[in-house]
Amino acid sequence: MRRPHLPPEPASLPDGPVSPAAADVEAERAGGEVVLDGIGVAPGIAIGPAYVYRPGQFQAEPEALDPGGVEAEVERFERAVARSERELRKIVTVAQEKLGEGSARIFDAQLLVLRDAEFYDAVVEHVRSHQVGAAFAVQAVMEALRRRLDASGNAALRERAGDLLDVQNRVLRNLQQGRAFSKIERDRVVVAENLTAADVLLFARRGVRACVLDFGGPTSHVSIMARALGVPAVVSLHDVADQVQPDDLLVVDGFSGRVVLNPGPETLARYRAKQARFHSLREAREGLAAEPSTTLDGRAVALQANLEFREELPLLDEYGAQGIGLFRTEMLFLTQGKALEEEEQYVVYRDVVRRAAPHGVTFRLIDLGGDKILPMGRREANPFLGWRGVRILLSKPDLLRPQLRAILRAAAHGPARILLPMVSALDEVRAIRQAVRETAEELAREGVPFGADVPVGVMVEVPAVALMAEHFAAEADFFSIGTNDLTQFVLAVDRGNDLVAHRYRELHPAVLQLIRRAVDEAHRAGITASLCGEMAADPRVTPLLVGLGLDALSASPAYLTLVKRALRAMTFEEAHALARHALLQPDADGVARLLRRWLNDHTPDLAAVLGVEAEAQEESEK
Amino acid sequence: MLVREVTVRNKAGIHTRPASQIVREASRFAADFYIRKDGYEINGKSIIGVMTLAAEQGATLELVFDGKDEAEAAEALAALFEKGFGEPI
Repeated sequence: MRRPHLPPEPASLPDGPVSPAAADVEAERAGGEVVLDGIGVAPGIAIGPAYVYRPGQFQAEPEALDPGGVEAEVERFERAVARSERELRKIVTVAQEKLGEGSARIFDAQLLVLRDAEFYDAVVEHVRSHQVGAAFAVQAVMEALRRRLDASGNAALRERAGDLLDVQNRVLRNLQQGRAFSKIERDRVVVAENLTAADVLLFARRGVRACVLDFGGPTSHVSIMARALGVPAVVSLHDVADQVQPDDLLVVDGFSGRVVLNPGPETLARYRAKQARFHSLREAREGLAAEPSTTLDGRAVALQANLEFREELPLLDEYGAQGIGLFRTEMLFLTQGKALEEEEQYVVYRDVVRRAAPHGVTFRLIDLGGDKILPMGRREANPFLGWRGVRILLSKPDLLRPQLRAILRAAAHGPARILLPMVSALDEVRAIRQAVRETAEELAREGVPFGADVPVGVMVEVPAVALMAEHFAAEADFFSIGTNDLTQFVLAVDRGNDLVAHRYRELHPAVLQLIRRAVDEAHRAGITASLCGEMAADPRVTPLLVGLGLDALSASPAYLTLVKRALRAMTFEEAHALARHALLQPDADGVARLLRRWLNDHTPDLAAVLGVEAEAQEESEK
Repeated sequence: MLVREVTVRNKAGIHTRPASQIVREASRFAADFYIRKDGYEINGKSIIGVMTLAAEQGATLELVFDGKDEAEAAEALAALFEKGFGEPI
């Protein structure tokens, strides 16, 4: 439903990644419009002129400084170097642990370059004597050094020029921070190859209407940030940044993942109508936020928020979330480059717990690794199957212990739970529970206030846990089903890989079977089961998830209104029948068809906003 | 002042990794440190200086130390070259 629209199976393997966009361009050019299909990751419809953002092509101009501005520019350079130093130190530490001394020394050499007189003093001297911007001075000094290496005629030396270029890019990026954004006008659609979460935040503050990107997936940080800020976004468009010219008019559908370049009058009218319907639904939000999240026949399903920044806390009330079903703690690590001290973590967790009360907060322990691995020159061959989640925590008490202490202390201020990521075996659950017990004893000995009996739950994302659910349910206090990884693992599909991403189907009956098993075994053991993957955010799938018996759904707050609308339009009995039927389907397409028909029969106005109506029509016409 | 002659023993020569080892090691000492090769002299405490040194396996270099701890510094740096920076020889 939300997958990129890919051509049928190629007869032979293509040379490069399949580009659905290119195929569409051919088909649509006749009409003047160009339709590009990607993945809709943040809901909403936006129409506006393009702002093409190309951070990679940064080339500093020799901007002349006022004599009074020279020392300020030198200080700005010092700050950029200091920031680059912190980044490289972090990379060296990680490289030492995971790649060994040899690889770490490459980065150590780059670290040494930053403060080398031939670089640092030369740049400062250049800024002072020529009265030009630091970025230009960095380029000039590095250019001269590289020329020296190239002139040697020695192949090995020319290779070393690459290390200098890495340093140059890092310093330039840090000099540029906050500057690249000054030129953008309001009401633009940002078009880029890729953005960071921080970029999206800066763009949102400058009033952009939407973001469309070549890269990224639903769980990329850029997507999470766009959802949190309510900026419609479409990612994985492959070559949108090359196709769009500055000021081209764009229509962005953050639901279906469709982007229309140079839309004709009919297309514009259709999307304006869709935009109006979405806005009217949004306006009904305040009313809906206060309504209970129950089915027509009174079955309660808690709708909770996935959050990771303190800044997102106001969204809880705005969208009527019943607490936080998933609080990701990695950002506390990634934005600082090292784990925060216990005290700093405690302050964040305490604020979050207080704000969410009387509802609870589920803190997922630091889930590093996989796609969130720290940047460095090399990666694990199979990062998704590698050193990540609870596997890292159990081998790094210096990461685990301060976090456990901080969470237990925060639990003194309101209900909190601990969620273990990437569990694959019972001994991992036992080891963490043991660490939690020891931490509580330690706090008690020290006389530090903490919450007793903080529940410890297991993330169901490795298929083994779903298959052995009865054993895990006996030792866990709750289940939280992470369908993003579960789907990737059970279907053996990396959804970040263009060649196979279309085979990533959350609605695959194999995924649904595992969810059903986990839910049923949880209930048999008397514990709850919630779901916190992307599926939970998709109102088209809500009837199925409710029917499978989930006790709670946790999603980005921006989606909760539509999910609640879907929930309040069905009876549990109907949903249960739908789920039974879905489990019998032979493939994902069968499940998708079943769902579309069901939505059109039960919630036609919601189906219209979500574009399900049109799909169903196309189907009946076939 | 103290001068030590050394030979580059490791296969890959003085590339980026050995360069960072040389600079880190030399920085532990107060003595000034220069490397001479073919009449060319670079500051051995500057990574950029060492990186611009084209020193392949078998090359002969003069390490020049000047300062009160020059003897210890010469010992430490010569040892680093002797063991080939921990790389294949």
